[in-house]
Amino acid sequence: MNVDNIPWSEKYRPEGFEDIKGQDLAIDKIRFFLKSFPKKRAIVLHGAPGIGKTSLAYAIASEMDAEIMELNASDFRNKEKISEIIGPASKQKSLFKKHKVILIDEVDGISATKDRGGLGELLVLLERSVFPVIVTANDIWNKKFSLLRRKAEIVPLKEVDYKVVLGILNDVCESENCVVSNEVLTSIAIRARGDIRAALNDLQVLSKMDSPELIKEVGDRNREQSIFSALQYVFQNAKIDEDMIRVYDEVNMPIDDIFLWIDENIPLAYKGEELCRAIEALSLADVFRGRIRRQRHWRFMVYEYFLLGAGIASVKKYNRSGWVSYKKPSRILKIWLQNQRAAKKKTICQKYAKMCHISTKTAMKDFLLLRVILGNEEIRRGLKLSSDEITYLDK
Amino acid sequence: MSEHYNSEVWTEKYRPRKFEEMVGQVEIIKRVRALTNSMNIPHLLFAGPAGTGKSTLALIVVKSLFGESWRENYLELNASDERGIDVVRQKVKDFARTKALGDVPFKVIFLDEADALTREAQQALRRTMENFTSTCRFILSCNYSSKILDPIQSRTVVFRFQLLEKKDIKKRIDLIAESEGLSINADAFDALYEASEGDCRRVINLLQATASISPNITPDLVNTIVSKARPSDIKIVLDYALSGDFVSSKEKLLDIMLKESISGQDVIKAIQKEVWNLPIDNALKVRLTEKTGEIEFRLVEGADEFIQLESLIAAFVMAGIGNGVGGLKESG
Repeated sequence: MNVDNIPWSEKYRPEGFEDIKGQDLAIDKIRFFLKSFPKKRAIVLHGAPGIGKTSLAYAIASEMDAEIMELNASDFRNKEKISEIIGPASKQKSLFKKHKVILIDEVDGISATKDRGGLGELLVLLERSVFPVIVTANDIWNKKFSLLRRKAEIVPLKEVDYKVVLGILNDVCESENCVVSNEVLTSIAIRARGDIRAALNDLQVLSKMDSPELIKEVGDRNREQSIFSALQYVFQNAKIDEDMIRVYDEVNMPIDDIFLWIDENIPLAYKGEELCRAIEALSLADVFRGRIRRQRHWRFMVYEYFLLGAGIASVKKYNRSGWVSYKKPSRILKIWLQNQRAAKKKTICQKYAKMCHISTKTAMKDFLLLRVILGNEEIRRGLKLSSDEITYLDK
Repeated sequence: MSEHYNSEVWTEKYRPRKFEEMVGQVEIIKRVRALTNSMNIPHLLFAGPAGTGKSTLALIVVKSLFGESWRENYLELNASDERGIDVVRQKVKDFARTKALGDVPFKVIFLDEADALTREAQQALRRTMENFTSTCRFILSCNYSSKILDPIQSRTVVFRFQLLEKKDIKKRIDLIAESEGLSINADAFDALYEASEGDCRRVINLLQATASISPNITPDLVNTIVSKARPSDIKIVLDYALSGDFVSSKEKLLDIMLKESISGQDVIKAIQKEVWNLPIDNALKVRLTEKTGEIEFRLVEGADEFIQLESLIAAFVMAGIGNGVGGLKESG
């Protein structure tokens, strides 16, 4: 991977306890857990996203000079993978030269109903493991974790103060040689609400813009929070009530963005027939969106929102539980990337369109055919195509 | 504006330059010619399908009015490229500020694809047309006159262009073939015409692309070019869908649409043609075709083409898992 493409949140992931900011209390508890191991065999680090749970786990490993064996929530559907881990983990420690630490990341992802076996397997692992087990979770107080809570050391992680975040941002700016005003950095730090990863992502995006003052260009995490909750509500509840009909009221995001979020996440929430019916509801909602746009008939918004909420929720019979990590819409980004790549094509079409009394759009549409015609040297000269454009055509 | 008068692009090289060179649209040409001869045209609206001679006729009008100095008195704008009415207004203003050169007391603005303008933009255009009416005449062109506001239609003389007939297109093709030294037999012409759907610009482009391979035009050669110009891999999208893999199907579709920058309309056309070649029950093909029609309608009515195509894919997924073609209602 190109160095520029590594997310800063990975590039600057802390390596040891001393690099971890704002979690001193938790670090003390972890040290105590390691010292008294195997009195308790597992430790649960829990707290909001981006405050350093996984980083802490890696720091523990580095402190012990141990190797990390990582198990993701999705692995709990896979028996083989689990026994692969549990097998060696339950054997005598002396067989191994090196220490090991087992990391169960994002345990919230295990569904209590769907992979009923998953949590059980985890508990078996906790009882037998000769290595410390580190579990990370966003919310440990869910009742499906009651047994886990009894067996493990629970370490809550504090939400990181914005001043700590600001300090980290300043350090990264220095290492990356990027100049961002303190005012902007402070505002990133505050908006991140203790989420260091989010703050670093924002900073990285911002650093690539021409004018770093354009802080508004960076997606507002608050808004993401609101669309997350709305999606969660729609995708998980089967009951259609007053709340479902008003589910997008609190989402402060343009309707077009809401469509993109739903479009991106339907396949994560539904499968098979339910998926198809949810897409159908989305399609019908989009028809009303088109009619509103063209006819300015605002009353259609009622149906638009109804289909997006109740319509999409109603495709399932029963409530869902479990934790789904919803994705940001990627379509716009893909279009943008493609446009970058197709920039040459566009300039060629602009030249052609001007000569032939058509729109650039029409030329773009006919490009596959035009490409053949544009093989002609004389036409290329007539259009004054640049050498870059000719290279593109000959590719 | 056509600076490249002697272009080697055949759609330009063989664009009719005089009224009598045009094919088809006999009545329209007669009336427009009479208006032009009086040296005072009203605002004109040319409505009709692509490749039927709207831009060509506009250019002929302008050249007949202004003769040698037509370039100074003519502004061509394309509504689908000139985003926003403000750009249009500014350009119109700048252009209309100076007096027309020569005997004709007005200049001509040709606004192509005027149906691409939003309602608001059309309202603004209407005022612009009124403000500059003493110094400018507008010729608007569009595919669907229903998408042009009534107040604009009422200020223009509307001409409805028909699809060109086969014999008219043949006239143009024969002319080009003779001049370029091509041999085209009847079958090859049929293949060209079939693929062009009555769009004269497209048929000429197809001919030129085919001729770039060999001057001996055969149906096979034409079909090779046609399949090159068709969105490829639509079959793969449908195969994924029928196998129940919605996500791969969707990704492939987006990939095709972006890479080949084709519209939702083109995709749905390709899907509609592909349905009958699919390895599925005929009764299901009928229902899928009906669904395709429904989605094509929604494509026109809706806002996001991609979402609409996704819902068509979903219908194929449903067909693939043996549950009919889906819908909001639960299947039996």
